[in-house]
Amino acid sequence: MAGFENEKKALQDAMVAYKVPGILDAVEKARAAKMPANDIINAMGDGMTEVGVLFERGRLFLPHVLSAAAGMTKAMEVLGEDLKAQGGAAAAKKASVVMGTVEGDVHDIGKSICSTMLQCAGFDVHDLGRDVPKQKFIDECNNGCSMCGMSALMTTTMTVQRDVIEMMKEAGIRDKIVVMVGGAPVTQSWCDKIGADVYGESASETVSKVKDL
Amino acid sequence: MAAQEFYTRMGDGKRVTMTKEKIMADLQAGTADAADMGTIPALTADDLERLLDIICDRNRVVAVEPGNEVVLTYDIGQLDFTGDNGNSGNGVDMGRLEAALIHERALGADTFELAHSDYSIKPVKPVISMEMQTMEEIQQEIIAPFFYGAMPNMGLYYAPDGPYGNPADLMREFKIDESMQQSELAAEHLARDIEYVGNKIMAAGADGFDFDTMASAGDADFVGGLKGVEALRKANPLAYINTGMAGESVMGIHGGIEFHGKTVAGLFPHQQVKVCEEAGANVFGAVCNTNTSKSLAWNMARAVTFVKECVKQASIPVHCDLGMGVGGIPMFETPPIDAVTRASKAMVEIAKCDGV
Repeated sequence: MAGFENEKKALQDAMVAYKVPGILDAVEKARAAKMPANDIINAMGDGMTEVGVLFERGRLFLPHVLSAAAGMTKAMEVLGEDLKAQGGAAAAKKASVVMGTVEGDVHDIGKSICSTMLQCAGFDVHDLGRDVPKQKFIDECNNGCSMCGMSALMTTTMTVQRDVIEMMKEAGIRDKIVVMVGGAPVTQSWCDKIGADVYGESASETVSKVKDL
Repeated sequence: MAAQEFYTRMGDGKRVTMTKEKIMADLQAGTADAADMGTIPALTADDLERLLDIICDRNRVVAVEPGNEVVLTYDIGQLDFTGDNGNSGNGVDMGRLEAALIHERALGADTFELAHSDYSIKPVKPVISMEMQTMEEIQQEIIAPFFYGAMPNMGLYYAPDGPYGNPADLMREFKIDESMQQSELAAEHLARDIEYVGNKIMAAGADGFDFDTMASAGDADFVGGLKGVEALRKANPLAYINTGMAGESVMGIHGGIEFHGKTVAGLFPHQQVKVCEEAGANVFGAVCNTNTSKSLAWNMARAVTFVKECVKQASIPVHCDLGMGVGGIPMFETPPIDAVTRASKAMVEIAKCDGV
C-alpha cells in the first residue's frame, strides 16, 4: 500500500474516532486519491481491530464499536461497487456463522459484541439473538452455516452447548461445523470437555482464533 | 511433583503445579495488567513477596493472622442453601427464617439478608407486602444486622421482559441514539422501583439494603441504581446501604450517561467507590473478574491491585466480593477452598479490605 500511507492512517484514525460521517469522509478522500478499494477496506479493517483492542481495554464502549461498524458497513456500499469496477468481485465473505445465546438464557450483550466483530472481520453472521431453541442452531447449520457460536452466561444454561453438539452428531453434521463456545462460566476445559472447537475468553480473542482457522 | 513445585490453580479451577519463579512471574504480570487497565499503581515488591508466600503455603487452607479478622457478609439470602448446585446453592430445602438463623448461628455471618428467589428489584414489587411480612418476622428472631438484598438487574426492564427497547437489539440495527434513549428511560424506571421497594422494606424493619451486582446491564443500570440509592438514603438517613458491583469495569452500553456530571462507563473500582459514596452508600463491594485462562497467581495479583487502590481512595468501608469467578477466585461452581482462602487472606492482609 505504498504511496497511500496518509490515507491509510486517516482511515484508521477515523475508525478509532468511530463517527460515521468522519469514516465516510476519510473513505471519500482515499477514493479521491485513487487508493484501491481493497486497500481502503483493509485499512478500515485494521482500524476496526484497533477499536476492538480499545474496547477490550475499557477505553471505548459498545455504542462506539457499533458506530465504527456502522461507518464501515455504510462505506462498503460504495466500496463494493468500486471493487467490481476495478475488476474484482465484491469481497467474498469468509464463512457463514450462526450465533446465539442458548435457550433459557437471555444474556446477549457479549454475544452481540462478538457477532459485530465477526461481521467486521468479514464473516457472514446470522445472529439469532437470545434464548435460541437448540434446533434453530441445527437448522442454520443445515442451511449453510459452517460455524456455530453459542453463548451461555449461567452455569444452568451452559450445558445446552453440549446438547447442541450432541444434536449435531446425531444429525451427522458435527464434522462439518466449527463450534465456538463462550460466556462467563464457560472455560477452555468446558470447551474441551464437550468437544467444541473454539473457546473465546473475549470477543476479540474469538475473532482472532477463527480468523486463523 | 518436583520438590520445588507448588500445587496451585488455573482460573477455571484446574489443579496445576508451578515453580516459585513461575508463580512470581505470573504475580508480576497480573499486577502489571491491573495497573495498565486501571491506570493505578502496581503492587510493591513487598506485596508480591507476601502474595507469593500465601500462594506457596503448603497448607490446603490458609487464614488471616489473629487480629486481622474482618466482617463476613453473605448475599442471596436463603438461596445458597435452597438453590441447586448450578445456582450457587446446595439443594437443601429450608425456610427463610431457618436459613437466616443458620447463617447467623452456624456459619458466623456478621450480616445477612432476606432475598426473593429471583433476586431482582423488579419481581419484588408485586410481592413486596409478603416480603415485608417475612422481614418483620425474621427481625423478631435474628440478632445480626439483617438487610434486604436484590440486584438492580436493569436487563429485566428491556424487551422482551420489560417495556423499553433492548439496546442489544437496537444497536444491532445501528439505532444507537434510540438505544441510548431507551437506556435512560429504563434507568429512571429502575430508580423509581428501587425507591418503592427500598422504602417499603425499610419500613418493615430492615437494617439496610444490599444492592448486588450494580451495573450488570451496563452504565445506565449503574446510574439507575445510584439514583435509587440516593433516594433511599434521603428517606432513610441511618440505613446501612451496600453497593456491590457486577464487574471491575462499568460496561458502556450507553457510553455517555452520567451521574452528577460524571460519565460512569469504564469506571474501575477505585472510581466506582467515589460515585457510590456520592450517592449515599456506606459500604462498597469491590469486584474483580477472573480470567479462566490465567493462573490463580495472575488473577490474585490483579484483583488485589484493584482492591488495594480502591481501599486507598475510599472514604467508606470496602467489602471485597469473593466467590465464583471474582476476587481472584477460579470460575467454578464450587470454588476450591485452597483458592478461596488464599484470595480472602490476600484481600484482607494486602489490599486491606474491611470485609468479605
